[in-house]
Amino acid sequence: MSDLLEPPGREETTPVPTYYERPLLKMPHWDSWNVVTYLFLGGVMGGLGVIGVLTNPKRESDRKLKRTLAVTSLVLAAANPAVLVTHLGRPERFLHMLRIVKIKSPMSMGVWGLVLYSGAASMNVMRALALHGVLPRWMRFLAPSFFAPVQALFGAFIMGYTGVLISATANPLWSSGKRHIPVAFVCSSMSSACALSSLLSTLEGNTEVTHKLERLEMLASTAELLALMSFERHAGKYGKALFSGAPGVRLRTYTTRNGILFPLALNLLGAIVPLPKPVDAVRTVIASVFTLVGGYLLRDTVVRAGRVSVQDPSVAFVQPQ
Amino acid sequence: MATGFFTDTTLCIGCKACEVACKQWNELPSDGFTFTGDSYDNTSELSGTTWRHVAFIEQMSVDEGGLHDRWLMSSDVCKHCTNAGCMEACPTGAIIRNEFEAVFIQPDVCNGCGYCVTSCPFGVVDLIEKFDPNGLHYNLASLNEARLDEDKTALQGHGGVAGKCTLCYDRQKIGFEPACAKACPTESIQFGDVDVLRERARKRVETLTGRGVSGAQLYGVDDVGGGVGPLHAFFLLTDRPETYNLPAQPVLPSTRQPAGYGSAALAALGLAIAGWMIFRRA
Repeated sequence: MSDLLEPPGREETTPVPTYYERPLLKMPHWDSWNVVTYLFLGGVMGGLGVIGVLTNPKRESDRKLKRTLAVTSLVLAAANPAVLVTHLGRPERFLHMLRIVKIKSPMSMGVWGLVLYSGAASMNVMRALALHGVLPRWMRFLAPSFFAPVQALFGAFIMGYTGVLISATANPLWSSGKRHIPVAFVCSSMSSACALSSLLSTLEGNTEVTHKLERLEMLASTAELLALMSFERHAGKYGKALFSGAPGVRLRTYTTRNGILFPLALNLLGAIVPLPKPVDAVRTVIASVFTLVGGYLLRDTVVRAGRVSVQDPSVAFVQPQ
Repeated sequence: MATGFFTDTTLCIGCKACEVACKQWNELPSDGFTFTGDSYDNTSELSGTTWRHVAFIEQMSVDEGGLHDRWLMSSDVCKHCTNAGCMEACPTGAIIRNEFEAVFIQPDVCNGCGYCVTSCPFGVVDLIEKFDPNGLHYNLASLNEARLDEDKTALQGHGGVAGKCTLCYDRQKIGFEPACAKACPTESIQFGDVDVLRERARKRVETLTGRGVSGAQLYGVDDVGGGVGPLHAFFLLTDRPETYNLPAQPVLPSTRQPAGYGSAALAALGLAIAGWMIFRRA
């Protein structure tokens, strides 16, 4: 616990003249929309899988939510590799990652997590369709109910691995958040997944579940806020690229204020004050959209700040542990 | 047998023959030309298409004894780490350790994800962003002819591949030493069995210290720390590593994974339990 509070550098050293103040490390190539979208959608998708297994099968409203989640998560699972392919250039380049399994590479682990998640998600949609009578009813035996916890397990992994992916690098900013970034991403994934679920449920008219989703969302976004605050205090000089200057303003405005605090206030209002149904629906939609945008911009800001961080020679030579 | 480089910077004269020989042998394209104003260094850094980089450091100070000045020159290269961050990060298995124990990128397997770029604690590897089929072609060291045409086509796609020193895999296969070491006129770049080179480096630093050369030190002969281990391309420096744009305390990125996965798992578990209480209670 104590090393969470200590600055991550091994020792504080006096500034040493570096090589013409040139950056030691190379710029990450991940500031494009497709990488950020991949990280964000992956997190949301993972969260949907987890919420799916939490729903109570004894309640009709929860069963309806579960069906919605099954379909949405499959759509995202199909879209996400496509987004990644736009970054890699050509579809077969995605397949290059399926020729090996490498425990030490979070990217390899993540791709396999994504593939297995998609498999489980497909089975769950098949089960939902069979139970609903769209597919022949006997087909439910092909997709037994244990695929729901399987999907949730891989979902939980995907929520977190993107944080490990960027923090287990040589980037001074990202690596100084080796605990905080994964936690912030998990929490943000969960709050975004709750936001998307309550948005879809509201649009479907299944308003019975939205308040439960919003309670989980409030917990997740509060935890996310705490993780970010702890990261700022812990990172010290390594966190300059994210918490000061333009990225700092961006983070505080779009993620902390608009993406966490504002929806938190709206959700709290909904939980305390009994609002008329249409007003409550509008409140849910607004809170959800702000949470989702805040979650997207969290990834975007953290990833972009990584490019700023490598340009600072004062943090590159003694790398965070 | 593990082969590698011993770069003795006290012998470097800054002729950049290594840079030129590397570019020519590996048929690497030009990076354009700019005057940086940083001494004689207009190359600036290692990149996907620059696998040797000569650094020029001008040091001057005045005291009672008069003017002290020295000009440090050093040819930087991929370190071919014992535990290579790029290799561990690579999700396709494109980055391998070959029979000479060098870290080698197979360009036809690389998918241009860029993870190795952020995972190198020395800032060596980078993406070759664009491949110009009409310009100089990128040499696919040691790959057989049949795969070569396929790879050329592959490289024309959007996205590029990662590039860095191959330790002249193709030359080593036919018993030649790497182009940079061959071209070096002062034996500042020495190539050979790493164990032999390490011994030579230790002796050399003793000799220099005996002669009164101040600050002579080895970089990468022994474990550089942070889990990276000893390097297969190591250096004899006469100033702190930072002066030469080398990290004083590099860290192997994968050592951070247990902390990351652990805290992510705890967070996910906590949220799942909270969610269970919310949905299943009452």
